[in-house]
Amino acid sequence: MAKFTAYHSFILIAVAYVIIISIFPMAFMVYGSFTNWRLGLSRMDWVGIKYYTDLVGDYRFYNSLQVTFLLTALAVPIEIALGLVLAQLMRCQIRFRRFFRTIFLIPLFCAPVAVALMGEVLFYEGGGPVNSVLNILGFPSIPWRSSPIIAPFTVVLCDVWMWTPFCFLITLAALEGIPRELHEASIVDGASSFQTFRSIDLPLISSPLITILMFRILDTIKIFDIPFTLVGGGGPGIATETMSIYIYKVAFRDFTLGKAAAISLVFLVLIAIITSLFIKRLRRYYA
Amino acid sequence: MPDMVNRFKSVITYILVLLFSGFFFIPLFWMVIISIKKPIDQFTLGFIPWLQFEPTLRNWEAEGVKQAAENLKALMNSTIIGLGSAIIATILGTLAGYALARFEFKKIKNVDIISYFLSLRFLPPIALAIPYYFLMQSIGLIDTQLAVILVHAAAFLPYAVLVMRDAFKSIPVAMEESAFIDGASILKVITNIVLPIVAPALAAVFILTFTFSWNEFLFAFVLTSKNAFTLPIRIAESITAIGVFFYALSIRQLIAVIPPIILGMLVQKYIVSGLTMGAVKA
Repeated sequence: MAKFTAYHSFILIAVAYVIIISIFPMAFMVYGSFTNWRLGLSRMDWVGIKYYTDLVGDYRFYNSLQVTFLLTALAVPIEIALGLVLAQLMRCQIRFRRFFRTIFLIPLFCAPVAVALMGEVLFYEGGGPVNSVLNILGFPSIPWRSSPIIAPFTVVLCDVWMWTPFCFLITLAALEGIPRELHEASIVDGASSFQTFRSIDLPLISSPLITILMFRILDTIKIFDIPFTLVGGGGPGIATETMSIYIYKVAFRDFTLGKAAAISLVFLVLIAIITSLFIKRLRRYYA
Repeated sequence: MPDMVNRFKSVITYILVLLFSGFFFIPLFWMVIISIKKPIDQFTLGFIPWLQFEPTLRNWEAEGVKQAAENLKALMNSTIIGLGSAIIATILGTLAGYALARFEFKKIKNVDIISYFLSLRFLPPIALAIPYYFLMQSIGLIDTQLAVILVHAAAFLPYAVLVMRDAFKSIPVAMEESAFIDGASILKVITNIVLPIVAPALAAVFILTFTFSWNEFLFAFVLTSKNAFTLPIRIAESITAIGVFFYALSIRQLIAVIPPIILGMLVQKYIVSGLTMGAVKA
């Protein structure tokens, strides 16, 4: 039996705090997902796996899955690619490097809701600045938020604005960790800067790039704030209704907590699978 | 000839850098401009005050006087909730981070404890929001600052634990060991010897968790209504409540984004390890 030391109590406090605040209530939710739990109703009657089997024929569930994956598949690659371009630019000899780097970091600290509001102002269809500029250039106005086809792209645009700086910053840190001698050697050997990038930089930063990719995938799957506020709760219709928004509406607009709990758990399992792959990767940083 | 090529390359570089700067800066700049425009000018493209439009401070005055009560309430709530959750997360995170950096746990390995905190970071907030709502409702904390503080502290604790562990790992143990030999208690060693050395990291963790809490929307939205609402909620509700009065909205937006931008710039050095929880080092 190992001795119980102060170190044990330090860990125990943090672990116990999270268990009491988060894990216990979540365990209750698992129970709730098998009952007709409703907001404002004290009775909870057992309904078994009804809400789980209901999901099979629930077109809004499929829609939310589809929307979530569409947003993720569009936003994440753009963010990572732009982040890489920006990081490469910042490694060039340019004046006011620190100033530009600071500008690139601005979105990182903005609340997503504030970003959505900015989108509201900039993409306003009846005379907002983006459409006005388009008109001046001879293009027609674009229904940024009222068209169910374009609205997801508007959400992606806001997400890209908000998260490219994250990808940029981490990529830059990884690139700056590459020893200078490697570059000098390849320049002496007469390699072009693209060749240097492809055969020296890219292999050396592939590991941090995958880490960025997983962080971004796992965070974009959970996206809520921007589509919720920018396009009126996942609108128009359900065009930008992501998983998180769908669950929110089932819980707090329809008040059917039992059903929401069941969908949450399905969502949770999905995320747990991706997370466990990711954590396997991350663990070696902490060994 | 290579000189020409290089000059061409550097021109392209500058153009791209300027384009990206515009992409990231113009949206925020536009909010500032619109906040000093008269309502009648809000849909014009002019962006040079005095030359293209007559600037006014009337909107700021209206937000600061007529809407002051609600704006101030949101500002106070955001500040108190941010400070409260940052204090809890930083204290618990410092202790757990220190234990993880300095002690080899036997039954459950350190890396497993770390994985536990990491996996918490990736839990979907919406799956927690429902049980949180229920928990806070049943203990009578719904719509209080304390409810949001407790929840935010739990949500951002994993960052604090892992970043502090990183900070402790990076300093030598020699001084602590000699202090232990002199008979100092562990809390004394932490507060008197280790914390002064990692003070910058400690400040960064505090500022980061404060900003996360300040910007968080979903939990605060679900757990509060009339009393404890924070700035992001004030903004989200303004969108539906006041429609296209963008000159007023822009001011609320600026109040919400300026403090975290300033704070974030102070801890630039720690952002990389802060945001990736120590998985990528700057």
